[in-house]
Amino acid sequence: MSQPTAPETLGSLTDETTLDPNSKASKEIAGKSPMRIALGRLVKDKIAMACAFVILFFIFIGVFAGVISGLFGVNTDTQSPSQFLDVLNGGMPKPEYGPPNGGFTWDHPFGIAPRTADDNLAYWLYGARTSLMIAFGATLFASVVGVVVGLLAGFLGGVVDRVLSFFVDTFLTVPFLLAALTIAPILNERFNDSDNYPTIQKVSLVVVLAMFGWMGMARLIRGEVLSLREREFVQAARVLGMPTRRILFKELMPNLAAPIIISVSLMLPAFVAAEAGLAFLGIGVTSGASWGLTISFAITYFEAYPLYLWEPLIGVVLLVLSLNLLGDAIRDALDPKTRR
Amino acid sequence: MFAYLVKRLISGALVLTLVSIAVFLLFWYGPSSPAQTICDRETSNRCGDRIEIYERTLGFDNPVHEEYLKWAKGVFVGRDIQIASTTYECEAPCLGVSYLTKQPVYEELVARLPATVSVAVGGAFLYLLFGIPIGVAAARRRGTVADKALVSSFLFLSSIPYYLFALLTWLYLTVLWEAPYVSDTGYFPITDNPAKWFAGMFLAWVALGIFGCTQYTRYTRGAMVEALSEDYIRTAKAKGLPPRAVVYRHGLRAALVPVVTIFGIDFGTLLAGTIFTERIFDIDGIGYWSLQAVQQKDLPVVAATVLFSAVLLIVSNLIVDVIYSVLDPRVRLS
Repeated sequence: MSQPTAPETLGSLTDETTLDPNSKASKEIAGKSPMRIALGRLVKDKIAMACAFVILFFIFIGVFAGVISGLFGVNTDTQSPSQFLDVLNGGMPKPEYGPPNGGFTWDHPFGIAPRTADDNLAYWLYGARTSLMIAFGATLFASVVGVVVGLLAGFLGGVVDRVLSFFVDTFLTVPFLLAALTIAPILNERFNDSDNYPTIQKVSLVVVLAMFGWMGMARLIRGEVLSLREREFVQAARVLGMPTRRILFKELMPNLAAPIIISVSLMLPAFVAAEAGLAFLGIGVTSGASWGLTISFAITYFEAYPLYLWEPLIGVVLLVLSLNLLGDAIRDALDPKTRR
Repeated sequence: MFAYLVKRLISGALVLTLVSIAVFLLFWYGPSSPAQTICDRETSNRCGDRIEIYERTLGFDNPVHEEYLKWAKGVFVGRDIQIASTTYECEAPCLGVSYLTKQPVYEELVARLPATVSVAVGGAFLYLLFGIPIGVAAARRRGTVADKALVSSFLFLSSIPYYLFALLTWLYLTVLWEAPYVSDTGYFPITDNPAKWFAGMFLAWVALGIFGCTQYTRYTRGAMVEALSEDYIRTAKAKGLPPRAVVYRHGLRAALVPVVTIFGIDFGTLLAGTIFTERIFDIDGIGYWSLQAVQQKDLPVVAATVLFSAVLLIVSNLIVDVIYSVLDPRVRLS
């Protein structure tokens, strides 16, 4: 990556965002866009690559949860507990059904749950899907709202800016957790007679998470736009008579890519943690597979069956950790101040 | 300064009004019938037609703005609340009557405040006590192996969701290893038995303290690295001040400004209810209370906790801005 090659130099002619030809960096790595430079640094960062690999692994699991559980021959169907469980032993799984009492068995590689006899592997796989779906959904939703609000507030200024900033401040005065705590049960109660209740529950969770997660992005984008809109290229576009919509999307947006990528990479782990946290408190996903929900069930059995708790816990920790570390690496890679 | 304070207080009051309206509307239009829960509970799930009595006495058949004004008036002068055939007196500041205990919500809130304050103060004390000195030490040794090891291990620790960290602390120390003296977690009034209060709170403080410490170390280190590269630090060194004075009197004072800002907001949030900490360590404070209220659909309590936290955040924001202007002479409030 460090050695400039012919195709890359040629590539600069078609690149939308080109580096200032007079800057120092352009002599070394000619014709690379800031994004390409950042990507090059990221690829060299071993921790970031390991994290990206872990994240891809979880995404793979989430997308193919059905196929993988099919391969192992497990499913999330409700079992008839008496057949698998040892009633005398406090409803723990019988030794022949895998860990913790028995050895490893291919029937239930992760063991089965106490009291319900559900297969842990299947719930773990589908838990990854729930977690990622909600986190990605909420991130997408929150980013779109945040970017639009930030762009409008920063670019239009005046009354619009004041009104939007007031809304941002108002939303920031309600702690996220408490807000989610308040709204989620109401949405759930409203729809709990519905047939597709689990889906509605997840959608409402995405809405609640996004509703209280967009403000940071809006503030960041507003600040960036405030400084960008006075720059020469935007003024030139205005003088040329470019319509506002085109200025917003063609002139400003490419310059906002870095802050957007950074805040998205910080939002994702926060939402994964929030989803599991709410489920742990018993107010997020309450029916279906969720790591947080499994953790809250597993606390009671921790002494006798620690594995039941560790499985979802490792899932959450690994995913949040790699998302966070990758986010940090992306931020460093995009920050021109940390140029090495 | 005075004009600024008045302006901020007015905008704070405006935000609070907006939040209270939002909460009110949410409970009004959110559930299929807001009176359903209390009706079910009082008639042992044979509510049926009697829901009308509850809706009428609780005012759910009136226009929503009238009821909001009635509620808002109650906050300032108090009011009587009728549920079915019983009337409950609710003195100002009246935030309603709990559907579950029939006690005025405000009184219950005040009763639970000491537990939450204990958690917040103890935890915050610990993380400041360790976070700031460790951050300063790391900044002074920037780039060394010790600094790198510390930064990466703290980054690792703070990337784990807090509640899982607290949960593991609790599970291992109290359930598995049954640590002597501190494994009976919970809130015991400090006035009754200070030793028991301390023992009950200790693990919650440690969990909160260690986790917060990792973040405050990072903030302090970052601010300190920046402060130590300033020109006036070079001047202080050049005129022969002892390193200790350079770092603490000149560097740390400037570096603390952003840390104080973050701490102010953080502490306000902590006081508003440390939901996970209280839930995991079984401490009956505001956070646990709001969680229980949500699960039991005790609407007045939920509304009160949301408002309470909004008040705390607004006030802590204001205090932070004022302190900021005192600490940093470059900041002018306007």
